[in-house]
Amino acid sequence: MIGAFLTWLEHSLGKGPAPDAQSWSEALLGSLNFWDLLEGSHLIGLMLFAGTILVVDLRLLGVTFRGTKVSVVSDRILPLTVFGFIFVVLTGLGLTFAKPLFYYHNIFFRVKMILIAIALINILVFHSRVQATQDSWDADARPPAKARVAAAASLIAWVLVITCGRLIAYDFFECGKPHSDFINWAQECKTSEKGEVTLAGKRL
Amino acid sequence: MSMNLEQFFPHARPWVENLANTFPGKYVKPQFAWWEIGHILSLITLGGTTILMNLRLLGAGVTDEPPSEVYRNLRFWQNVGIIGIVVSGILIGSANAERLYDSAAFIVKMLALLAGVILTYGASRPVAKADGAVSLPATIWFAIGSAIFLLGLGIFVTSDLVNVGVYHIITAAAFLVLLVTRGRLRWIYLGVLLALIAAQFVGTHIVYKGDDYAHLNPVNKTFTVIFSVWILGCAVAQVVRAGRDAEGGALTRIIAYATILVWVMGAAAGRWIAFA
Repeated sequence: MIGAFLTWLEHSLGKGPAPDAQSWSEALLGSLNFWDLLEGSHLIGLMLFAGTILVVDLRLLGVTFRGTKVSVVSDRILPLTVFGFIFVVLTGLGLTFAKPLFYYHNIFFRVKMILIAIALINILVFHSRVQATQDSWDADARPPAKARVAAAASLIAWVLVITCGRLIAYDFFECGKPHSDFINWAQECKTSEKGEVTLAGKRL
Repeated sequence: MSMNLEQFFPHARPWVENLANTFPGKYVKPQFAWWEIGHILSLITLGGTTILMNLRLLGAGVTDEPPSEVYRNLRFWQNVGIIGIVVSGILIGSANAERLYDSAAFIVKMLALLAGVILTYGASRPVAKADGAVSLPATIWFAIGSAIFLLGLGIFVTSDLVNVGVYHIITAAAFLVLLVTRGRLRWIYLGVLLALIAAQFVGTHIVYKGDDYAHLNPVNKTFTVIFSVWILGCAVAQVVRAGRDAEGGALTRIIAYATILVWVMGAAAGRWIAFA
């Protein structure tokens, strides 16, 4: 069902009646510069988003801004982080819209989405559980273990998100090449346009 | 027009072609993706610390602390970012030298790196350390760094195929000005900016169709100039209106703008190496 929706998104949505008409997705991918601009903007947006979240996490780990209250660091920096996040999400959605089937059948993209979900859950846990007692440790140079664990989890998750994001561009596990059963299953190669090929070279 | 290293060092091509087969390129190539990830993570570390330190000089960000305190807390991580991009950049460059040799964007990136290092270590950091006071050496370094920055920008703007990447710098400048302007100026700035974006959309999607490059090219170039003039004008207005306070004057703020934007130019040019 998802595959059918993405096929419609990539090949049909916005397509006119002319024989050589392009869907919106195809037009975006084939645009002279727009896709490149989106991709470059996604990377530069990361400098703001991930770069500022790094500083907040380092404060929670007790590594930097040790003399500044945690609430001051987060209140002043997190609005920039949120702005950066919205920017990278919008540019990321644009990039995904240009090649939805490619991303859907890409294992790095799938892992990236799972990691983003984990990172967002970590933020929710931090706000609901860890921040509840923040008044008692707000000025501490070294916040309590639960805050440091949340910060470490955040850092690891975002580093892995960025790592997977970059690896999407590489064809290590591209469908249509011989892969293990696990890889073929994990990225649903059987339903992809290039199909599934086993390590023995058998095309399914 | 398009400038690349081959025009300056035409006899170096055999050496460049062989770089990927010798140390360290030969050893980096099989792990190219991982070094590239290291390059991006370093860039992000540099970006976050540079943005926060220079925003403080512009009167935004962590305003509860003086600029010197922001500098003291971020300098180590800024060093990590810069050393990271240089080391990983040399390694991935050695494995990919032929592409860089033919690339105009690479020249822009190298000028941005040089200007970025000069502006960061010669101007921005000393000024932040002195809580906004601009010394004579910082002024001199700023002049040198800015001249290299503008040279790189000039090459970026006039290089075929990669010049579209200048829109990354314009976008970053647009957001930066929006962030640091206050009061009525901010709303006027935003309103005109949105009107310009709408006008460009109408011009390039309704007045002229998407495949009419003969008309679209001059229209887009005209809008690039208009956007730049508007953003730059509002930045100047912000700098002048803010006047001189305990944490520096107009030159302090100009240094902060330039130091953020020079690294954005480096990142943009780096990405456009892959596109053209």
